[in-house]
Amino acid sequence: MDRPLLVGAVAYTPNVVPIWEGIRDYFAGGPAEMDFVLFSNYGRQVDALIDGTIDVAWNTNLAWVRTVLQTQGKCQALAMRDTDLKFRTVFAARAGSGFTGLADLRGRRVALGSRDSAQAAILPVQYLREAGLDDEDVELVRLDSDIGKHGDTGRSELDAIRVLLDEDADAVALGINTWDAIGADELMGDALEAFWTSPAYCHCNFTALDSLPPERYGLWVEQLLAMSWDEPEHRRIMELEGLERAWAKPDLARYASLFKAVEDQGISARW
Amino acid sequence: MVTSGIVLDLVERVGGAVAGSLVEVPAAATDADLIGRWCERAGHRLVAVEDGVARIRRGPFPDDAAVLASVPAERRPGARLWIYTNFDCNLACDYCCAKSSPKAERKAIGPELIERLVAEGADHGVTEVFLTGGEPFLLLDLDRIVHACVERAPTTLLTNGMLFRGRRLDMLKAMPREGLALQISLDSATPGLHDRHRGAGSWQRALDGIRTAVGEGFRVRVAATVAAGESGADEARAFHALLDEVGIDRDDQVIRPIAQRGFAEDGVALTVESLIPEVTVTADGVWWHPVAAEHEDQLVTRDLFPLGAAIEQVRRRFAEYRRESDTAAQRFTCA
Ligand code: SF4
Repeated sequence: MDRPLLVGAVAYTPNVVPIWEGIRDYFAGGPAEMDFVLFSNYGRQVDALIDGTIDVAWNTNLAWVRTVLQTQGKCQALAMRDTDLKFRTVFAARAGSGFTGLADLRGRRVALGSRDSAQAAILPVQYLREAGLDDEDVELVRLDSDIGKHGDTGRSELDAIRVLLDEDADAVALGINTWDAIGADELMGDALEAFWTSPAYCHCNFTALDSLPPERYGLWVEQLLAMSWDEPEHRRIMELEGLERAWAKPDLARYASLFKAVEDQGISARW
Repeated sequence: MVTSGIVLDLVERVGGAVAGSLVEVPAAATDADLIGRWCERAGHRLVAVEDGVARIRRGPFPDDAAVLASVPAERRPGARLWIYTNFDCNLACDYCCAKSSPKAERKAIGPELIERLVAEGADHGVTEVFLTGGEPFLLLDLDRIVHACVERAPTTLLTNGMLFRGRRLDMLKAMPREGLALQISLDSATPGLHDRHRGAGSWQRALDGIRTAVGEGFRVRVAATVAAGESGADEARAFHALLDEVGIDRDDQVIRPIAQRGFAEDGVALTVESLIPEVTVTADGVWWHPVAAEHEDQLVTRDLFPLGAAIEQVRRRFAEYRRESDTAAQRFTCA
């Protein structure tokens, strides 16, 4: 039998250990066994994917874009979470701000998360530009508290909200996951309000080089997609990993906005 | 507005903690309601807000159905229904967990209530009934009770097997062979150990009872109650040899330890939290497990009806204890 498929993931929370042990156990004894390696940052993980140390990388959207750029497109996305298909960025302000759209941010201070976070820094800058606001039109307050992890920890976004609540910024840009985690509509309605939400885009995916043959990943992907929310053992892992109900096939078209942002903003293909 | 800052602290500290761990977040008592609502929404559990600190158990937690599904179907709480038909007994064994004896009050439930219990139980997922006591064969309406149970679910009747004579033998003969097993206690392969705990001459009479029941075509399971140290390999071998000769299936030869309940004092400690519950009914109430019937700490409810409500309560509490013990098991250390 082939050696187990080796999947890399970034350790952005202590729960990646139970998550990946759970996923490994799920595949154990089946036709597509796997093991995992944890990295401290996405740069290191993508290097390991490209040099063949790992077969598959559990990548953020920025790590995917950088893999594509570094390999001249010789890579493939195998699967993603249902929640990765409909990721969004939310712009919020203090309640009662009266903002109705991004154009209202002219001359204002906008707090962003870590500069390598697609949802809380790179795409927000792009959305501002698309709304006609260039660098000189808005003052960006960058909270780089989880650099290297592409905003996965959510910490830089929480820091950005603190800056907003302290009135050191007029607006904040966050991933929809952080907005949901703070229960902003429900629990912080007297303090925060969302005034603009981006179109949906794709977030993480399982990335492999295109040299990984289908017989190495085919059954693995099939079995991954078969993981069931209704199975208590599976659900625990899925809940921890931030799925809503199921693993899904990737929709590469929804990475277009990030490719454009990376190009327009001159973000490097490496780290 | 500043109070909302607590939510950010919660997301950062609890969200970033290991699932199942207990997280402490500095918080004012006035934030308790907001913290509770956030925990509820995010699937964590607020343990307490006191002395300026909120203590929160980090989720996710499996729901009741998921916890119950992790137990094999036949052991799932509510699958087995135990009924103490009565508490008096012709014997007075020193380890009896029901503290039965000829002097014990009868406390019979009676056939009418038992019929209702098994009917309700079957409607709420009971798949197996166990009738125990005391000594059920002291009851002269036992055959009616047994028929009512067997009609609803496979039934095991626990007896000391010593009363199969006269009218009681007729009662035995009238019982169904299908869907009924007799479970008779025999502690050892020779009279010594058995008689020491249960009284002189009791071993021989129990063995005679086993032979009678087997001869009548009943499925008979023989259970041995042995204390640690007394179940040596020789004893076990002799025990099996005897039962093989009587015609008891190997699967029906069971050796079990004494429980630390009733008159036994040096057995294994059992608590509500450590036992997979098996809903147990006596005339006085519904209990968590048959080895602890009539022990106040294991009382589920004094109301025999509706039995479905008691079964549901036992399932809910079990799921709760299981979640607690599973999170406790996660508090490992890396040595
Ligand atoms: S152990 Fe059984 S036979 Fe002995 S006293 Fe108790 S009920 Fe009676």
